[in-house]
Amino acid sequence: MKKNKIGNLYLWLVFIVLYVPIFYLITYSFNSGKYMHGWKGFSLIHYCQLWADTRMIEIVVDTLIIAFLSSVLATIIGTFGALWINFAKSQLTKNILLNFNSILLVSPDVIIGASFLIFFTAIGLSLGFLSVLLSHIAFSIPIVVLMVLPRLQEMPVTLTEAAEDLGANFWQVLNKVTLPYISSGIMAGFFMALTYSLDDFAVTFFVTGNGFSTLSVEIYSRARQGISLEINALSAIMFIVSLILVFIYYFISRNGNRKRTPGLEATK
Amino acid sequence: MTEETVQPLIEFKNVSLDYGETKVLKKVDLEIEEGKFYTLLGPSGSGKSTILSLISGRLQPTGGDILIEGKNVNSLPSNQRKVNTVFQNYALFPNMNVYDNVAFGPSIKGFSKKKIDQLVKSMLKLVKLDDFSDREISEISGGQQQRVAIARALANQPKVLLLDEPLSALDYKLRKEMQSELRELQQRLGITFIFVTHDQEEALAMSDWIFVINDGKVEQSGSPVDIYDEPINHFVANFIGEANIVPGVMKEDYLVSFAGKDFKNVDAGMRTNERVEVVIRPEDLDIVVPSRGKLQVTIEDQSFRGDSYEITAIDDAGNEWAVQATNPAKIGQRRGLKFDPEDIHIMRLNESEEDFDARLESYEGED
Repeated sequence: MKKNKIGNLYLWLVFIVLYVPIFYLITYSFNSGKYMHGWKGFSLIHYCQLWADTRMIEIVVDTLIIAFLSSVLATIIGTFGALWINFAKSQLTKNILLNFNSILLVSPDVIIGASFLIFFTAIGLSLGFLSVLLSHIAFSIPIVVLMVLPRLQEMPVTLTEAAEDLGANFWQVLNKVTLPYISSGIMAGFFMALTYSLDDFAVTFFVTGNGFSTLSVEIYSRARQGISLEINALSAIMFIVSLILVFIYYFISRNGNRKRTPGLEATK
Repeated sequence: MTEETVQPLIEFKNVSLDYGETKVLKKVDLEIEEGKFYTLLGPSGSGKSTILSLISGRLQPTGGDILIEGKNVNSLPSNQRKVNTVFQNYALFPNMNVYDNVAFGPSIKGFSKKKIDQLVKSMLKLVKLDDFSDREISEISGGQQQRVAIARALANQPKVLLLDEPLSALDYKLRKEMQSELRELQQRLGITFIFVTHDQEEALAMSDWIFVINDGKVEQSGSPVDIYDEPINHFVANFIGEANIVPGVMKEDYLVSFAGKDFKNVDAGMRTNERVEVVIRPEDLDIVVPSRGKLQVTIEDQSFRGDSYEITAIDDAGNEWAVQATNPAKIGQRRGLKFDPEDIHIMRLNESEEDFDARLESYEGED
């Protein structure tokens, strides 16, 4: 009982430490003053300023477009990649492919970003929307593979065999049996890729070039001149949006689990 | 060989399957006719499920030929064969409900919605699941899942239904029920069923014809009665039912010697004084007073089996005899064993199935 109390206390402390800065930041987004200290009273002025800052709005839209496009494309490529790794006959090929996949996940963003910069300049691709999109797709693919592959591996071989036995060809098996089975993994991969893309700074910083920017890079460059509370307002909005995303993901995965768990329906 | 009047539906000619050094199937020959209930019976790892995979096309033979309706199908993929499988773990699609599972085959074939609907409904009726079409797979019991798997396979209107140990996951009572239901279903539909099991009781109860498989070979094939009454060798005798197997010598036709005595029997066609194995089933032995018995034994052990007693007795030559008796006996008592000449079955050592059949024909024709 006592042990439990200490455990709870610890948990609360951890969450408080993690969330206090965020709530502090959100609170001051409503400050009518100019700085992050000295509360001057409630006001929505920074939100209005943000709304009037067309460059900032443009960057937010660009960031969302990049995140959405890159995660959709990475999900498609990553899903087929996972299928391919799973189809590989020899265990050696499988392991080699998987390790190559993991290396990309664990290598520092700075190195990935720098290598993309070198690569893009070498092939003469001008830095901007396309270079950011390509690099975001590239670093999202391994994440999708990692989310999809376990689902594929837990899928019984007999399901594929049964579908073939009933007359289905390769594409019909994929479309009607395999993809529906791994759909929860694909969704998880998509949302992971989306969040990775939304908050990536290091890789993007290298490949944005002049003019084009994403939110994280823009906030960083503005912060060097001292943070205006406009940024706080933006962060508050972003925080709420990610909270909503997390809830959506939670409900999707919960529904997916319920369908697969026998007996749960009966107890409902 | 006599001229074949009916072309077999499925034929294995010298079919082998190797995984590198391991020989899974060793030159298997078998013929499957239309409209019968076949069972592939054997211990686990004997290759019986492999034979099923070869018929369905999930595996390709490394040697020999597989013919379906006279055509070589060695490399025909499974989605183009007119056979369907009920898998051991049912392999139902979890993302579809009962109806859509059964409709899978017909919709792949591109049938019209109306035709699919008719087919699915009649199949669900056939397996008595009419009211379950909207249920999710996770909401129905194991026995019901089993029926869905059967309905799904039958909805493809196969010429042959392959059943890979489909009853092994069910409890005893449900298994018994499904056995008679499957048998009835096969007779009603009139298509060929090939059923794989390691349960000899199941095989004897359901089949028209049994292939006993061991170590990648067909040890013996025949009707349940033939296989039970006249097992070809030690393995079959032991695997199908319980058997007392003792060494003996065939003195001449219709006279065999074992346990130090000579007995009249009904087997013939062997060399004089050939060493053989003698089989007598426990239920063919009666325990009587010593003077009336053909063999004198001492009761060694006894256990109660519900409907009978299983008694172990030892004869003077040291052979152990299992007896199935309705009345209990006293341990340590001297008793006699009584049996008829027809109860004695003789097995030659290493006799092939062809030789066995030829020999049976040669002397049974004499009477």
